This record gives sequence, C-alpha cells and structure tokens, in this order.
Amino acid sequence: MKFSLPRQALLLAALALLPAVGQAIYFRDKISWQSPIPPSEMVSVDQAREWGDSAIWIDARPDEQFARDHVPGAILLNEDRWNELLPQFLAVWSPGKRIVVYCSAQSCDLAREVAERLRKEAQLSDVFVLEGGWEGWLKKNR
Amino acid sequence: MVKSFVWRILDFIIAAIFIYAGVLKVLDPVQLAHDIEHYQILPWAVGVGLAFYLPWLEIFCGLALIFRLFYRGALAILTALVVIFLVATIAAKVRGLDITCGCFGHASQNWSFPTHLALDLAILVALAALCYCSVARARANASPTLTS
Repeated sequence: MKFSLPRQALLLAALALLPAVGQAIYFRDKISWQSPIPPSEMVSVDQAREWGDSAIWIDARPDEQFARDHVPGAILLNEDRWNELLPQFLAVWSPGKRIVVYCSAQSCDLAREVAERLRKEAQLSDVFVLEGGWEGWLKKNR
Repeated sequence: MVKSFVWRILDFIIAAIFIYAGVLKVLDPVQLAHDIEHYQILPWAVGVGLAFYLPWLEIFCGLALIFRLFYRGALAILTALVVIFLVATIAAKVRGLDITCGCFGHASQNWSFPTHLALDLAILVALAALCYCSVARARANASPTLTS
C-alpha cells in the first residue's frame, strides 16, 4: 500500500488526533480552555478585600517593583529568591488563611507560577490568583 | 550497505529525540499550554489544543521513522514543526520575551537561547539530510538502471 507524501502526512496528523482528543477529555477538569488560570483559582479584587484579615497577600513581582509600591501588607515572594523568601512567608502564614497572589497585570504569569509552587511545593490550599493583578488592584483603589 | 546503516541510525536518533520530547510533554500538557502561551502568538484556547495534539504528533512521527511507515509524511511533518518552532523562538527573542521552549518538558527549562537554537538547527540539518536521502532512494528505485 503506497501513499503519496501529503496523504501520509494527513494520515499521521489524523492518527495523532485520536489520543489527543482522549487526553483532552481526561484533562477537562485540570485545564480551562477559556483562561490560563481556572476560574476556581482566581479571585476578584472586591472578593479578596472582603476576606480582610483572613487573607494573606503575596506580591510575586520582582524585588524592585515590590519596593516601588505594593498592596498594603503584602509579602514579597517571587521566583527569583524563592528559597530565601518562602520561609519568611511561611513564618507569617497560619492554617485557614486564604492566600491571594498577584503580579503586575492580568496577562503576567508570575502569580500563576508562584500560586502553583505554593500548592505543589509548600502543599498549601486556598491559594488564589488576583484578577487583573496589581493594575486591577490600583484601578479599584485610586 | 554501510551508508544505509548510517542513515538508519540517524532515523533512530531523530525518532528517539521526538518520541522522548513527545512523551515528556504528554505527561504534562498543562505546563506545555503555558509554555506555548509564553510565546504570545496564539490565543490561549489554540495553545491548549496544541498542547494536547503536538506531543502525540511528535510521537507518531517518531514511530513512523522507526517502522518506516508513512516515512516521508513523518519527515515532512517533523521538518515543518522544527521550522515553525525555530521561527517562533527567534520571533519571541526579537520581541524580548523570556521564554522556556517546553520542548523537553522541565529538562529544557534552563536552556539558554543559543542552546535551543543550536539543537533545533542540528535537528533541522539531520531532517534535511534524511529527506534528501529519502528522495534519492525513491529516485533510485524508480530508475534501477541508473544505479546498476
């Protein structure tokens, strides 16, 4: 059975589609097709503020941006100095507290990565990423 | 005889690279979707679709090279994938994006841009050589009198 090159390529492309669809169905609860962060792992500025003292705010931006300005009471915890800053954060964290992580804007990825590491490496639950990030917070607090 | 053995070895090396890369990515499609997102070229939903699809395409093409089934089709797809990836990587670098390619899962996270580029170019050269060999073989088969 001999196939032309385009037909061979098409057949391979179609074959690869089968397990891909199966895997997409299997992972349907683990990834959102609408946004990089599942809605259940996000929190709006208003909601986070309502949590008051039961929430700890984490600034995942680089040191210099944190030094310039940050959400009052926020703790610096970025990936550049993760090993150094994580123990400092854990010292002020207590069970039952919600964690709100933010970076510069909705499109930045630092908050998601820090939130992911807190869940995986520090085994913490109730970790949320702030919708709109620092820019979103500024809009609501100007 | 020795020559065809060498080409076959190259088949296996390229196949192994793509199967290895594919399997690593199949294990963590969520991370791959985020790696694709870092390029800031495609909408998120398209990136998610590719994160599920591309690793399997790499694995199937790698297997096709090993078993010589749909061989030319696999070479064409892999060459196209590497070219697209190279262009996307260079475009990201030009736009000043700090990206991890995600090509080999977490193993490639700390690779520098020149390392990415060198590896991709080496794979592209190897694929081009295999394409050339495949065409030459097809021509020789089509006109056996020329080779005898």
